[in-house]
Amino acid sequence: MNIFLKEMKAHRKSLMIWCAGMILLIASGMSKYAGLSSTGQSLNAMLEQIPKSIQVMMGMGTLDLSKATGYYGVLFLYIALMATIHAAMLGATIISKEERDKTAEFLFVKPVSRKSIILIKMLAALMNIGILTIISYGSSLLIVGGYSKGESVGADISVTIAGLFILQLIFLVTGTAIAAVYKKPKKAASLSAGVLLAMYLLSVAVDLNDGIKGLKYITPFKYFQASDMMYGGGLDTIYILLSAAIVVALFTLTIVFYKKRDLYL
Amino acid sequence: MNVIEIKNLTKTYGKARGITNISFNVEEGEIFGFIGPNGAGKSTTIRTLLSLIYPTGGSAKIFGKDCIESAHEIAKDIGYLPSEVFYYDNMKVMDLLKYSASFYKKDCWKRIMELAEIMDLDLNKKIDDLSLGNKKKVGIVQGLLHDPKLIILDEPTSGLDPLMQQKFFELLEQVNKKGATILFSSHILSEVQRLCDRVAIIKEGQIVQVEKISILKENNHKKFKIETKEKISPAFFQLAGVNNVEAHDDTISFLFRGDINTVMRKMAEIDIVNLWIEEPDLEEIFMHYYVKEA
Repeated sequence: MNIFLKEMKAHRKSLMIWCAGMILLIASGMSKYAGLSSTGQSLNAMLEQIPKSIQVMMGMGTLDLSKATGYYGVLFLYIALMATIHAAMLGATIISKEERDKTAEFLFVKPVSRKSIILIKMLAALMNIGILTIISYGSSLLIVGGYSKGESVGADISVTIAGLFILQLIFLVTGTAIAAVYKKPKKAASLSAGVLLAMYLLSVAVDLNDGIKGLKYITPFKYFQASDMMYGGGLDTIYILLSAAIVVALFTLTIVFYKKRDLYL
Repeated sequence: MNVIEIKNLTKTYGKARGITNISFNVEEGEIFGFIGPNGAGKSTTIRTLLSLIYPTGGSAKIFGKDCIESAHEIAKDIGYLPSEVFYYDNMKVMDLLKYSASFYKKDCWKRIMELAEIMDLDLNKKIDDLSLGNKKKVGIVQGLLHDPKLIILDEPTSGLDPLMQQKFFELLEQVNKKGATILFSSHILSEVQRLCDRVAIIKEGQIVQVEKISILKENNHKKFKIETKEKISPAFFQLAGVNNVEAHDDTISFLFRGDINTVMRKMAEIDIVNLWIEEPDLEEIFMHYYVKEA
């Protein structure tokens, strides 16, 4: 319990900044919608002029940008990127920081097993990403709702946020696993962010090139895309199972490796 | 009863040398010195004992329990002061000590206040703002606040001023009298000499010798320096056990090991102005181990 509180306190400030950033992202993103939607039907026609590759990169795909939810769907890609970067860096940092800051010789000689320490730390990380999810959910409902002109947004936002949370979980354990396996604590967080970026670029490549469609199972960003989940699409069972398998595997990897390896002192 | 039992402990890092086949025991209630030059493997041994790193061979027991399998169990009764103290920034000394105490299922508050008083430590300062010596004091209080049965100190005096060192040694003697066993690692010989009952000497990852301090000193040479009225030839002191005879004008000096009476009788034959007989300090004894094979 003491470790949990300590971790929550240590990450309080950064979590507040991430939450503020998230609210800002959603608010500023949707305010652009207000400006664009006033131009009326011409918006979709205009967007069709944009080359497909750019559309894909910006996450537009098949969404109807004249609707608030459609616009939110585009914005979701950036929400997901932000939340997963937070999750990956948090996962890597929460594990590696004791070695990075050389406090390992303090914490790991206390009468608590290494496994318990890691479990508690992961629990604190889970709490952190949970809070960011709730903030994202709440601000999406409020802000998108504000622009919706009576269109119902609750169901579409709920399903994307569910997908978002799973994505956060995947990248959280990616971060912890990298920190557990990788012996250079100072670089664990940047390596995690690098892996995340590679996954994102892969998802863009898959969109652009039908020839490598099979690779969509590799990058989590393809699992929960707004255009697939919204308008009744829901979460794909295959992807949920795949996500669960990844989370369990990386979680186990984190525990097993960190328990067995020498601490970097 | 042995508090620490180390058996053939080996730790290798890739090709780099760690420690090889280390074996020694630390008995209950003693202050055990662990001494060797920098990089000899003292910290590696200690970190293996604390299962911060894992051995590649051999085993170690603390309180009769395997130090890896029962690591968190035995940790209850261990106090550890690392050679370099690092703590969470942005924490006050008081908060850190409270956090540390929260891991032990007892009320440590009274002891914290006592220790802070002895070590002259300001509990309201931020850890970031402390000097090296003051951080070390935090480490000392942090290592002792739960009244551990075994105290492991890795180069504990670096950064402490002489007055604080003195207080710290008195503190250690006090807790030792109350029953605590102490493993004291150092490369400074005088402090080991002052404090310890027995020492293990480690060099290049291997134990060179485990011995009582008193015996180490007994087995050694005495230094003689004699000032005489008339110059005497070095040949005069050609006795068994005499070494390094040096004569300068009217003084003659040599090292002697053996029955002291033989030298005294020999000396009675000459006219002496002044005489010095010195115990070699540990420094000289250990230099012997340090330099060997170098």
